[in-house]
Amino acid sequence: MFWEQLLNGLTLGSSYALIALGYTMVYGIIQLINFAHGEVYMFGAFVGLFLVTAGINIVVAMLGAMLFCMLLGVLIERIAYRPLRGKSSRLSALISAIGVSIFLSTLMVLYRGPNTTRYPEMLGGSSFQLGSLQVSTLQVIILFIAALLMVVLELTIKKTRMGKAMRACSQDLEASQLMGINVNRIISMTFAIGSALAAAGGVMVGIYYNAVWPYMGTMAGLKAFAAAVLGGIGPVPGAMIGSLSPGVWGIMGVAYLSSSYKDAIAFAILILVLIIRPQGLMGQKISKKV
Amino acid sequence: MKSASIRRIALLLCLMMVFSVLGGCASKPATTPTGTPAATETIKFGFLGAKTGPVANYGIPGEKGMKMAIDELNAKGGILGKKVEGIYEDNKGESSEIANITTKYITKDKVVALIGDPTTGGTKVAADICQKNKVVILSAGATGAGVVEIGDFVFRNTLLDTVAAPAVVDWMINTKGWKKLAVITSGNNGYSTALTPIFKQAILAKGGTIVLEENINDGETDFTAQVTKLKNAGADALVFTGYYTEAALIMNEAKKKGLNITMVGGDGLYGQDLAKLGGEAVQEKVIFYAGFSTDQPTAETAKFLENYRKIYNEDPDMFSAQYYDAVMLLAKAMETAKSADPSVFKNELAKMQNYPGVSGATSFGANREPIKSPVCLLTVKGEKFPALLEKIPVK
Repeated sequence: MFWEQLLNGLTLGSSYALIALGYTMVYGIIQLINFAHGEVYMFGAFVGLFLVTAGINIVVAMLGAMLFCMLLGVLIERIAYRPLRGKSSRLSALISAIGVSIFLSTLMVLYRGPNTTRYPEMLGGSSFQLGSLQVSTLQVIILFIAALLMVVLELTIKKTRMGKAMRACSQDLEASQLMGINVNRIISMTFAIGSALAAAGGVMVGIYYNAVWPYMGTMAGLKAFAAAVLGGIGPVPGAMIGSLSPGVWGIMGVAYLSSSYKDAIAFAILILVLIIRPQGLMGQKISKKV
Repeated sequence: MKSASIRRIALLLCLMMVFSVLGGCASKPATTPTGTPAATETIKFGFLGAKTGPVANYGIPGEKGMKMAIDELNAKGGILGKKVEGIYEDNKGESSEIANITTKYITKDKVVALIGDPTTGGTKVAADICQKNKVVILSAGATGAGVVEIGDFVFRNTLLDTVAAPAVVDWMINTKGWKKLAVITSGNNGYSTALTPIFKQAILAKGGTIVLEENINDGETDFTAQVTKLKNAGADALVFTGYYTEAALIMNEAKKKGLNITMVGGDGLYGQDLAKLGGEAVQEKVIFYAGFSTDQPTAETAKFLENYRKIYNEDPDMFSAQYYDAVMLLAKAMETAKSADPSVFKNELAKMQNYPGVSGATSFGANREPIKSPVCLLTVKGEKFPALLEKIPVK
């Protein structure tokens, strides 16, 4: 049973990771906790659902959802955050983010109603035996896609010019601008990439649990944000490792302690880690001006 | 009746009840009087229920059932030779309206009994007023706790969880042979946390064993850990006391994990979304109980079904059947007592045993709580929702 529960936890964690990356990237560059990110993930799940029910192939539907959310993410940044940048405090942008989050989830309620909608079954509900361990094909596919997306992201950040610019921006926005980097464009790109990853996560979670609903982004967003903090805001591998842990701990808590305290266990460990390592698991200790 | 919003409304109603008690004296009936002067030759019943608003789903069919019963009584010469009249105000499901309308029924219309409200919260608001004024109230929908405790003028004719759950557990253990049971509760759902102890007590009393106890929360989607444990627990069946959404998701997960298990629960599982969300995974695998089904009717129910369809051109639901029965129960009590005085006929009502109603046989126990039989076990079968699986008698 241990290995099966571990696999459950890893699958759940990898879906958090895809959302957490968006938080961590945006925070790394403009120090904004983008609270609307969970809703982008929800929109991704719904757009995927619409495309799939329209009879479009699941792979295309997922790409479509990612594209849609890229635009949504850029649009949110353009409308709700950019006008505030530099002109008012960071707190205003945070409030703006909360506003966008409420706007998007209620927009979906208005359109679809608050009820849970069934996601059509796909990619096979099948499972196979691996020794004594029963593995569902879906779990393997989700883990694989999540890992693939994260590797692509890591390569983008480490090996491309744009990635270099992003890293520069995260170190010092003003200095980057002075060096001739189009900061606004880099920020837009960051939102686009983060939102696309969240959309992929949304579609996969929809398929995995067969259910989507307008408020799914709130709790998932919160947990992913916690995961990003746990991993140490900033570095990509941090978000990945950080996210796997609440997923795995939550599941293990249910498996071996008590199911009443699933989230409590995950968050207790989060607090513990942050007490011992305030910079997060993979974060670097840097003294920062606040 | 058990959807989350109703619970919330019930809570709201309870809160508002406090305010209505505090400021109730000054309030004036908001509705216009129906215009009929109080006459001694008619027996009047007041309808409690919403015809508009979020709980109108319960009030509208209730009114139809009540009207039909009163028409049938009048066609047979009324009660004690007197004509029967129903008064139907719309209380909108708001407790201030319920208080106003109840007061109006009692003081202005001089009704002998009120029928309703379909919600527990609404019934409590009205029951307080009825008890003070010595008028009988018979709720055709309240299932929550603390209703008949308000006083000896307060009755209800609903299927209670404390009656249904033990009967269902008995069926599971003795008919189906499911002795090793797992129980899952939704920790943030008041209905579920109240129903779980009733099921657990019944399981232990009937000689079953609880091999696994797990918790989930409403609004979660990840039940992989609980289902994995369930799979390893070797349970014969699963008792889930929450609502239909989570029920469907748990069954989806079980199907994915290759676990073939039957889920049994209360009427919290009674929702169209169970079939919609669960798809293949819930087909004939989720069983829940309810007090009324249009399938396999008894002679009384068949006649009721036929007449109801003729008049309203639709199928009756539990509320139409219970409101109909409520009128007939009151009529029977008055005929037996040979009196339309609430203080007199309430004693006969309390003594009623095995009244063959259209929503099942109704008896009142020593504590005036109803015991209804049979319990209908419903399931999802093909396109049909809900489909009757079996009717089990309550001892």
